[in-house]
Order: sequence, then C-alpha cells, then structure tokens
Amino acid sequence: MTEAMNVQAEPREEFGKNASRRMRRAGRVPAILYGDHGLAIPIAVDPRAIQTVLASESGHNAIFSLEIKGKAPARVMLREWQVDPVHGELLHVDIVRVARETKLRLKVPIHVTGEAKGVKVQGGVFEFVLREIEIECLPDDIPEHLSVDVTELTIGKNLRVADLALGEKVKILTDPASVVAHVVTLKAEEEKPAAEVAEAATVEPEVIKKGKVVSEEEAAAAEGAEPKPETKKEARKEGRKES
Amino acid sequence: MLMPGKVKYRKQHRGRRRGKAWRGSTLSFGDYGLKALEAGWVTGRQIEASRVAIMRFIKRGGKLWIRIFPDKPVTKKPAETRMGKGKGAPEFWVAVVKPGRVLFEMEGVTEVEAREALRLASHKLPLPTAFVARAV
Repeated sequence: MTEAMNVQAEPREEFGKNASRRMRRAGRVPAILYGDHGLAIPIAVDPRAIQTVLASESGHNAIFSLEIKGKAPARVMLREWQVDPVHGELLHVDIVRVARETKLRLKVPIHVTGEAKGVKVQGGVFEFVLREIEIECLPDDIPEHLSVDVTELTIGKNLRVADLALGEKVKILTDPASVVAHVVTLKAEEEKPAAEVAEAATVEPEVIKKGKVVSEEEAAAAEGAEPKPETKKEARKEGRKES
Repeated sequence: MLMPGKVKYRKQHRGRRRGKAWRGSTLSFGDYGLKALEAGWVTGRQIEASRVAIMRFIKRGGKLWIRIFPDKPVTKKPAETRMGKGKGAPEFWVAVVKPGRVLFEMEGVTEVEAREALRLASHKLPLPTAFVARAV
C-alpha cells in the first residue's frame, strides 16, 4: 500500500441539501473526515481525485494523503461513498483517518485466475458467489486483493473461505465455511406451449383471509363442545322449560 | 410467468413513480446487467419475453438473475362498459421500476454475448435501458 496519492480538500462552511447541490453543480463533492479520536470535519473534495483513488489497484482500500487548506496532511482511506443510481456520479464521501498501530476491519476483493475444469471439460457454469471477504489487519498489511486459482475446480466441488491462503498478519473474519465459488450444472429449459402460458397468466392468486386463523383441531374442539346459550333471556327460557 | 402466489388484497391503487431506485441499483450477483434509465411498469409478460430472449441467445451458456418481480395487480374494465359499477377485474401483474434499477444480471458469458443478449431483452421492455458491467 502506497501513500503516493494526494487529495486536496477545503473545509465546508455551508451545510444542508441546497448548499450541497450548489457545491455539486460547481464541480465539488461534499465529504466528511473523521476517526482516530479526532473531530469530524466537513470538507469538499474534487470527485475526479476520489474516482482516481477508487480506480487505483488497491481500490476502496487505498490509503492516501488528504490535505485540507491550512492544516497538516492526514493519512486517510475511504470508508463509504454514495453514487447516483442512474449516472453513477459521486454524491458524498466518508473519509476516515488511519492510525498506523490500530487494526482495521475491511473488505478485500477476491480475484480468480484460470479456467475451471468443470467449465472447460465438464461443461458447467462457473459461479462466483463471494466476491469480497472481511479481514482484520494493520493498515500497512492490507492486501490489494486475494488471488485464487480455480483451475482444479470441478462440478459439485466448492472453493471455501478456509481454502484461501493469507499471511499471518491478516485475520479473516468471514465464516470459513462460506462458499467463494463453485461450478454448477444448469437444467435444460423446457419451452411451454403458448396456450399453457396464457392459461397460467389468467389464474388469480389466493387472497389471504382477514382475522384470526383457526386451525383444524381448534375448529373440531369447538364443534364437539355444547353450544352456549347466546343471550341471558334464552338461558332463562331454557331453565323454565326444564323445571 | 411471474406473479405472486398469495396476496393480501386483490386490487391496488396505481400509485406514483417518483424518485430514483436507491435500492437494487448495483450489480449484486452477476458480472453484467441491464439497468433501467426511466421509470415504468414492467409486466410479467414482458419480463418473461425478455428472459426467453436472453436464454435463447445464450443457449445454456450462462446464468441469469431477474432482479424485479411483478407484485402489483393492474385492473381493467371490460370493453364497451359504462363507467361506474366499481373497479374492474385484475388483468395482469406489473413490477414498478424506477430509474437506476437493475432489471437482469448475467454471469458465465463473455461481455460481447452479454451485451447482445441484454440488447435483445431490452427490445421487449417498455423503458430505455443501459448495459452495465462490474468494475475491476
């Protein structure tokens, strides 16, 4: 992990939705700097600089230097970032200070190499189930990614988190039994006739009934018991008849 | 065709389609996907047509995920009926889609194949879409 990247920022004086929108229109992105027992400082950064950090080899785990006007540069990394769901533009960034001696919990991407035997020879489909694993380590020991060779993977066999080899400095927090990747066989699809499909489309789903759901046993017990007189008057009448 | 197995109420109001899809807007399962660029109602029939178009193109080659489900009933009155006399009968089911929503995801195919399969699928849908690929 290198700290070669340097991001410039300036403190924010205006807050809220309107000010943030004005800032985004002006080509800056609102951000916040916190962590390492320091104060939370609202800042504005250049989105292109953050995109460069995200596109670097270390990706979102890259440690870089953040320089706020009038302050000493801080050693930081990205904690969270929000993007527009349609255009993918950055909307807000959370930046956290990184202390050299404090262990971090973060997610590292898994990269697969080679082509699985199950795909090449047996004709299965490779399924990449877990693309990131959670680890704990010191900032200087953060791996860029985990490379796994899947050449020996055949149909029905799984590659699990326990099979991943990491150094002693890194502790894996994800469940070791979790499946990282496997090769599956796909069922042949039967094409239904159009008439059958049209018939299925006209069937209405069941409507859930209102009120308490009475089980069959309860209903049977209620039927077996003597029916209670509905009103006091009826009870009196029945008493007179008996006498 | 996709539709719910059980529902609490048979009929629903039309509702509004304001805002963007803040959930379900990133690739979660596959390497490639099809993203909606505008809001709209996608019927169960359209989803099925898209699925068939994709599966016919990739011919058992890859895996497909459908990220939307038509859980909203749409009613219709019979033709040449006077207004009134209550709401019509449920006719079909739709998925309410907002801009940014990932509709389909694919894995186990090349990017060229995924692009073509999803292009064919997009022609079955009532809204503009874009091809998306996983970064890295």
